[in-house]
Amino acid sequence: MSAVEVRGGAVYDRGYRPYEGRRGRRGAATFALYKASIRRALGIRRSWRQKVAPFLLLGIVTIPAIVNVGIGYVTRNRSLLDRIQIITYRDYVGVSSALLLFVALVAPDVVCPDRRQHVLPLMFARPLTGVDYVAAKVAAIASIVFAFSFLPQVVLFVGNMLVSDSALNYFTGHLDVLWKVPLSVALLALYYAVVGVAVSSLTDRRIVAGATVIGLFLITSIAAGVLVGNNFRFEGGSPAAVINVLALPLYLRDLVFLGHIDPASPLNGVTNGGLLAIATYVAVLLAGMGVLLRRYRWVER
Amino acid sequence: MFIARPQPPASSLSVAPRSHAGARSCQTGGLVDDGPLLRIEGLTKRYPGATALDDLTVELPRGRIGLVGANGAGKTTTFRLLLGLTHPTDGSVEVCGIDVARDPVGVRSRLGYMPEHDCLPLDQTAADVVSTFGELSGLPARAARQRASDILDLVGLDEARFRPIGGFSTGMRQRTKLAQALVGDPELVLLDEPTAGLDPLGREDMLALVARLGSFGISVLMATHLLDDVQRVCDYVVMIDSGRLVVSGATESLLERTGVVTVDVGPGGNALVTALQQHAMPAVAADGVVEVTIDGDEQLDLVRDVIAELELPLYRLSTRLTSLDEVFLRRAEHTT
Repeated sequence: MSAVEVRGGAVYDRGYRPYEGRRGRRGAATFALYKASIRRALGIRRSWRQKVAPFLLLGIVTIPAIVNVGIGYVTRNRSLLDRIQIITYRDYVGVSSALLLFVALVAPDVVCPDRRQHVLPLMFARPLTGVDYVAAKVAAIASIVFAFSFLPQVVLFVGNMLVSDSALNYFTGHLDVLWKVPLSVALLALYYAVVGVAVSSLTDRRIVAGATVIGLFLITSIAAGVLVGNNFRFEGGSPAAVINVLALPLYLRDLVFLGHIDPASPLNGVTNGGLLAIATYVAVLLAGMGVLLRRYRWVER
Repeated sequence: MFIARPQPPASSLSVAPRSHAGARSCQTGGLVDDGPLLRIEGLTKRYPGATALDDLTVELPRGRIGLVGANGAGKTTTFRLLLGLTHPTDGSVEVCGIDVARDPVGVRSRLGYMPEHDCLPLDQTAADVVSTFGELSGLPARAARQRASDILDLVGLDEARFRPIGGFSTGMRQRTKLAQALVGDPELVLLDEPTAGLDPLGREDMLALVARLGSFGISVLMATHLLDDVQRVCDYVVMIDSGRLVVSGATESLLERTGVVTVDVGPGGNALVTALQQHAMPAVAADGVVEVTIDGDEQLDLVRDVIAELELPLYRLSTRLTSLDEVFLRRAEHTT
């Protein structure tokens, strides 16, 4: 093979091209931050280690749906009374509360590094305000929690429909699920996202934030358990049950699915228990948003 | 064989035509505003127990502007006020004719900002970071990715763009910071101490990049306490001290003639010194050249004649100018 004779060459400087296309403002910047936060939370464009936790958790929360559909398939030829159903759509919203672990892991990861690595000044030098930043971060976490809670429910619904005697009858017989599940899951996702991001915004250390999120939920659930006692099913519950920030969205789930507080819940028998649950839920959301807006009120900082 | 890069424009991707002399006019809702780049009037910023800026009034043209002052002089506060990230106690700021107090988001969409301190997410690649900041500047995702690639190439990070920033040297991080400031195609870029922490070679490269920004039609406001950097790349200087304006003006106009002439006659410098001293002219040989203190054009003619009499080669004869350091020190003393 003969050597190629190189007579000369040139390295061209591509110079600088001004951008003359479409340019968005606050909305576009907020959406860009929302997308970047979702990518970060799911480990997209990051090493495989960052992808393990979210997708493993998605797999885990989907298992009950798959098992339920499998059992439904095995028992499909039995009479309706003998068919086994291990989980209901309402129960499944409770399973999704396990996504709190995901929030404790991911919310600090999408918030803390921005402060720790001093990225915030760069962000707020863009057409972006503190409100936009908070909206993008909360929406990103809430979207993922919603998706991870909703997808198993879709698997459960479609699976149950397919193994039923008549898919059409199953569908028409469960139309209420089509709004109850998204609504209750949305309430859960928004709540966990606001609390998780608000707590994470108070520190720039991820591990401290994650531990604080889990600690908050554990301590309040233990405190509520002590205050309410164990015989709430028979002796009635206590208004103190609402201090359990882990279970609070599940009371709202019961209101969505049942129209009243579940008699098996620690709010059983409490006068205006439903209103109390809604008011506490709203108060926690407002407090969380207040913390966030104060932490990211960038002007004058 | 390494072949030096030609200066732009060199290809079809070169600089688009500008409205005038490389400077880009501010676009305001389709109208071209040829007014000053920055108009600062009576700007005052007081914090509890400290005054960061005190009645600063200055009007700046498009181009490369140096904002000079010692540490704590008010440079960073000025940047924060320009970005609308803090409210002035008194006074007003206009960027490209837009009042920052009325439309801070609109102003920020026209600016690029390179802070002095570390500000990059270390676990992400330069390409990801710059394209994300492009999107945050309002560019569509595809355009942001394309521009991120182009800009990283421009700042010399073309081959390193897919590496995590955590593994970058200080110089590479500074270039990445500059790239994120440029990716949104700003009309004005604010550079806070862009050469801080760089070695001499890195500093040269960074100053060369800053100098090129002017030819791209991007105005530059460079805050630094290194007057030499400003003297080399800026065509306009604003000097502040303790929040007060010391002096502002075109760099050339601030540099005054010192009355010292530098003469390079090669190896015959000592002979020239002796001959000039015989004519009662103070002359010394220093660093291979001869420095002569003159008083008027007649003495300058005399220097020329002496060189001719000695039949020495004349390589250079120039009037030494004051440095910006001297201007700053003298004016600052005068102000206080």
